[in-house]
Amino acid sequence: MTPPVRIAQISCGPDYAGVQAEINAAAQEVNGEIFFPDIALKDIRRDFDSFGLDVKSPDLKLAIARAKALVDGRVDADAVFIATCFRCAEAAIVRNELRRYIHENSKLPVVSYSFTERTTSGTLLTRMEALTTIARRRALLARETQSGITLGLDSGSATTKAVVMKDNQIIGTGWEPTTEVLKSANSVIEHALAEAGITMKEIEAIGTTGYGRFLVGKELNADLIQEELTVNSKGAVYLADRQHGPATVIDIGGMDNKAIAVMDGIPGTFTMGGICAGASGRFLEMTAKRLGVDITELGPLAMKGMGVHVPMNSYCIVFGTQSLVNALAAGSSREDVAAAACHSVAEQVFEQQLQEVDIKEPVIMVGGTSLIEGLVHAMGELLQTKIVVPHHSQYIGSVGSALLASGFIKDE
Amino acid sequence: MVKVFIYPATSLILSDMVARFGHTPLSSAVAIRERIQTPGLESPPLQITPEEPKKGLKWAAVEVPAGVRGRMSLYGPMVEAAEAAIIINDADFSFGCMGCARTNELIKFLLREKKIPKLDLNYPKNEEEGVQFVSAIKTFLTDLGGAK
Amino acid sequence: MTAYTPTHVGTVTKYVIVESFEITPADLAVRGYEIAEGAMIKETCFGLVINGKEEEVDRIIAELRKADPDHIFVKDRGFPPGDARRCRANLGGARPGYHGIEHEMTVIPYVSYGLEQIKKRDASAIPHPENPREQPVLAIEKLKKLMEAQES
Repeated sequence: MTPPVRIAQISCGPDYAGVQAEINAAAQEVNGEIFFPDIALKDIRRDFDSFGLDVKSPDLKLAIARAKALVDGRVDADAVFIATCFRCAEAAIVRNELRRYIHENSKLPVVSYSFTERTTSGTLLTRMEALTTIARRRALLARETQSGITLGLDSGSATTKAVVMKDNQIIGTGWEPTTEVLKSANSVIEHALAEAGITMKEIEAIGTTGYGRFLVGKELNADLIQEELTVNSKGAVYLADRQHGPATVIDIGGMDNKAIAVMDGIPGTFTMGGICAGASGRFLEMTAKRLGVDITELGPLAMKGMGVHVPMNSYCIVFGTQSLVNALAAGSSREDVAAAACHSVAEQVFEQQLQEVDIKEPVIMVGGTSLIEGLVHAMGELLQTKIVVPHHSQYIGSVGSALLASGFIKDE
Repeated sequence: MVKVFIYPATSLILSDMVARFGHTPLSSAVAIRERIQTPGLESPPLQITPEEPKKGLKWAAVEVPAGVRGRMSLYGPMVEAAEAAIIINDADFSFGCMGCARTNELIKFLLREKKIPKLDLNYPKNEEEGVQFVSAIKTFLTDLGGAK
Repeated sequence: MTAYTPTHVGTVTKYVIVESFEITPADLAVRGYEIAEGAMIKETCFGLVINGKEEEVDRIIAELRKADPDHIFVKDRGFPPGDARRCRANLGGARPGYHGIEHEMTVIPYVSYGLEQIKKRDASAIPHPENPREQPVLAIEKLKKLMEAQES
């Protein structure tokens, strides 16, 4: 068995919130090992003073000193997990600054998280998996071209996607809403293979990602079963042809959103949010339904409208939809309502997620929602940049999986 | 014997002084011992489960971070049981159980609200301050009466 | 979640910490073992950790304190000796509480000095330390001097 990935925990509060065991469990599940950087009191005093962030909580002072020990190389680690209490302003400032400090001054992958007493190991699993993958599989993640014939499958919460690739080209795709995980997977694979004119026997390697990755991966005997944070980052820079240098990947999904700061195709820091459905693709789906248009028509509709004309004061999917209904009843145009919905989602992702990563251009939007032109436009306005949406962006997870899976072809 | 809340609740010095001069120190260790000697669901390292922050709602509202409420589930009952308190005001390097400034502010406030004898001090910074520090604590504890 | 069955129920654990020129933790451990009578005694870099029934632990501590009363300090501990949940080897680094003791160890020599001195001095002659919550009032004389310095 490979030695566990050593994850340095920098935190304030998890053992008092009752969630330390959950953090340990999530790490163990992906063969990670949580440890606390060992430092002495004199290091704490010196490093806290020199860092210059004058917080009052002693455990945050300790966190700062531990981060400095990691960056200075006085303590060895493979990855860093920063965790503080949700709703603590003092800790949020420290969490953000330490995340940035470690990211800018070391090669250690970092994930930060704010927990409540309800945080479970399941919530943390994808983040821990990404963290250990980045630490353990740098060589695999360095792959820049696809070779041979590979299949990538993305079993998402809302949709299932498949892609067949051959010699660095996408030759077949399949897409459908997720109903039964395996049934949907088989159906999209069939479609992708038919389009590619390839049989399953000819496939040399398979990669799976998304919520259903373990189930589908086991069924298909996949070579690579990988969470979507690393896979999507890889897929995004590959499709956008930005494999070198910095990039920011935004994926607004059906159930959660990801914001990933990437360097040379490898995630450095990332956040994953999923508490509120009002900031998800689901909300846009509901809006489209309410407006009586297909989700594919929502984007063009929004481009014709002005979101500011519609009062949207709620971030909740239920109350947000209510605002839209009210606006329509009060005579707002469908175009304005569509634009307001797009703006609302973009703004929430901007406020809740993008503050936790350093936005560096190019900003690449991927996933099914990246096809909603109005959403991309709203995000571009908020970030004051031209957003890149690569071709096949809705297949991002499948493409990333197919690309990375080619590293497992036996003859390679 | 009088139950004396010590602040910082992790203090070796105060714990020792209170016991040495015949009273009962109320400290973090006693609260943690109670947690780890009580059967329940496994939640290492401190046996503080996600239920503890909910118990902490008695002292802090739901919008207060879970770490504060979890700590208050340890300290709240001790503050209520306290019959006297010794507070070191410049305890800036007490970690772990005393590692959260917001919790510490709340503990101190709850102690100050209570009509019990209190002694406020700073850590001594030289030998003469050490003499004054020990003398003040001894006098305070003796004046409480009922020492063992 | 799995069920938790505690160990060492009904016992107490206390640290005995030595800050002395006269006696080392090892000396204290030897003395402790002699009088342990079944209580568990573990030597650490600061001193000892003793676990057992409260009366037993208190009896041993009272005896040990005699060795150098002004330089031996006692504190409760939540965990029994050697508990894996608090062990440095398992955590990778010291538990946070360790740094708190580390901090107080820098102050303890002043406390020891204080303990020695109060036995020798008249208590009424020892001034009460400044109350940190009371703002020190600027003496009129000092204020006058400051004003004069400003004017000149």
